[in-house]
Amino acid sequence: MLSVMLAEMSVMIQKLDDYRYLVPKSFRDGMKVEGLIYANDELIKAIEHDQTVMQVANVATLPGLVGRSLAMPDAHQGYGFAIGGVAAADIHTGVVSAGGVGFDINCGVRLLRSDLSLADVMPKLDPLLNQMFRDIPCGTGRKGIVGGLSDDELDDVLGNGAHWAVKRGYGTEQDLLHIEETGRIPNADPNRVSKRAKERGRDQLGTLGSGNHFAEVQYVEAVFDEEAAEAFGLRLQQVVILIHTGSRGLGHQVCTDYLEMMQTAMRKYNITIVDRQLACVPIRSPEGQSYLSAMAAAANFAFANRQMITHWTREAFTRVLGKGELNVIYDVCHNIAKEEEHEIDGRRRTVLVHRKGATRAFPKHRPEIPKDYFEVGQPVLIPGSMGTCSYVLVGTERAMDETFGSSCHGAGRSKSRHAAKKEISADELIQELKEKGIHVRGASKSGLTEENPNAYKDVSQVVEVVHNAGIAKKVAKLVPVGVIKG
Amino acid sequence: MAAGREMTEGYHILEHPSDLGIEASGRSLKEVFEYAALGLVSIIADPATVDPAERRFVRLEGSDHENLLVKWLSEILYLYDGQQFLPSDVEITRLTATELGAVVAGEPVNEKKHALKMDVKAITYHQLKVEERKDGCLVRVFVDI
Repeated sequence: MLSVMLAEMSVMIQKLDDYRYLVPKSFRDGMKVEGLIYANDELIKAIEHDQTVMQVANVATLPGLVGRSLAMPDAHQGYGFAIGGVAAADIHTGVVSAGGVGFDINCGVRLLRSDLSLADVMPKLDPLLNQMFRDIPCGTGRKGIVGGLSDDELDDVLGNGAHWAVKRGYGTEQDLLHIEETGRIPNADPNRVSKRAKERGRDQLGTLGSGNHFAEVQYVEAVFDEEAAEAFGLRLQQVVILIHTGSRGLGHQVCTDYLEMMQTAMRKYNITIVDRQLACVPIRSPEGQSYLSAMAAAANFAFANRQMITHWTREAFTRVLGKGELNVIYDVCHNIAKEEEHEIDGRRRTVLVHRKGATRAFPKHRPEIPKDYFEVGQPVLIPGSMGTCSYVLVGTERAMDETFGSSCHGAGRSKSRHAAKKEISADELIQELKEKGIHVRGASKSGLTEENPNAYKDVSQVVEVVHNAGIAKKVAKLVPVGVIKG
Repeated sequence: MAAGREMTEGYHILEHPSDLGIEASGRSLKEVFEYAALGLVSIIADPATVDPAERRFVRLEGSDHENLLVKWLSEILYLYDGQQFLPSDVEITRLTATELGAVVAGEPVNEKKHALKMDVKAITYHQLKVEERKDGCLVRVFVDI
């Protein structure tokens, strides 16, 4: 049955051009809008291989959806929504889905630029990595350095995000200007976050976590857009730091709690769904607003988390190198729902954009982006898999027209963790990376091999697709020399 | 009470590119719910390193068996991630279409003693299956990691 479906899928989705595939409304019953998948000939094969296309179609059945149900070239099968999915709902008639944001609320990345070149850092790379590995708590079960926060303090974190961190001495006011939403989503309400979520998060603030989360020391290997690179403060051979982590157990529990709540509340609003994981409620309902306030609080926790890790990275830099200033280039959310204004079918509308494994990619002159990037656009940060490469892109007008100002978020997994582990031992992987000039510090050997770069799609190919499709433009390519792995 | 270290035949871990799943089979729904919980623990830590030193009592209400399964496993995950309590053995003492009661034995997380393997983010409804048949029961559940 399933194999028949997969075979028919290629016939049912239509290639529009080299980078776009349309999922017509005839793909499945109940689709209110079309689906659109960004991919090239090779990536579409990987996308068709799992349930991504069906999930794009399922999302298209949700009430009040506008435009199209979208999937980025790094899309792969998720829960309810595909990872790499974008969907916008009308603020008055549409729904919000906790699954449309995902469990790791505001999983995201932050890029720091140093004023040092690779030649300045290389002689002390190993001691630097050792220091970072000591100072940044990472791995399964590792507790944060700050320990258990009081209830009031935790509420302050949830309400104020990175602003709380700066107030407590982690970084500077200047940092806040270069974070999506300045590191604080305003409508956050700590009272909407359950006691359980707070218990899961309390000890985990200021920790990297495990899985695909990491901190990397990288350098700028190539610059594609001089003007944007200059605005972002990027130059060839410059050392930068990429931090990838999210809201930890607190965000996971918020999503779990609200999935449950939405399943019950949905009946009241006569909403029926095709996949239980797509549970949703009207945006303007008390339940919808409650979720969005809790989601914002979890997102703020993640912003505070990345701000603290930034602080410890700075301390490690100063201690080991005795010099080097680290400035925040930008910090973006990969899992979030945002109320935004977009022009749809020639009409300006307020919509709730769900980005699940996708990055906001706003062009120049949008009021949401930092003043010093106003003439070039918002930085879009795309981490690659461990030890490969990462990219900085910039948002475009075309993204506003087609994707609610969104772009891809990474490489996307292509092999199971088990398969990844079977391919190579941890020691072999460490050696292989070392031969490529990449030094690794990992909390667990098993965690390392699961993130074997061969288990991921090629991030460069993903980036080429969004660049050529015009939904973000390449600015710079970053190559790692050191990895801190959870 | 089902002892984790003897029951690897009651559950197995399913591997997909972006998922990790637990499939458990047994004679009754109670038994497969127990196996599923042990399967979850085996993803987080090596069950052989955990002793049943303390007990916790769980009581849950849900809308159906699928919902109860997700809530039950979410409870196990919360005990670990929120209460720092790592289960080793579980016993379902009551299971109806809308209620679940259980005793969970285990001990506080000790990073030096327990071989911790992986963080689990959440339990999902993705391709969730609860099958109750005359010749046996089966559940399948995917977790986000």
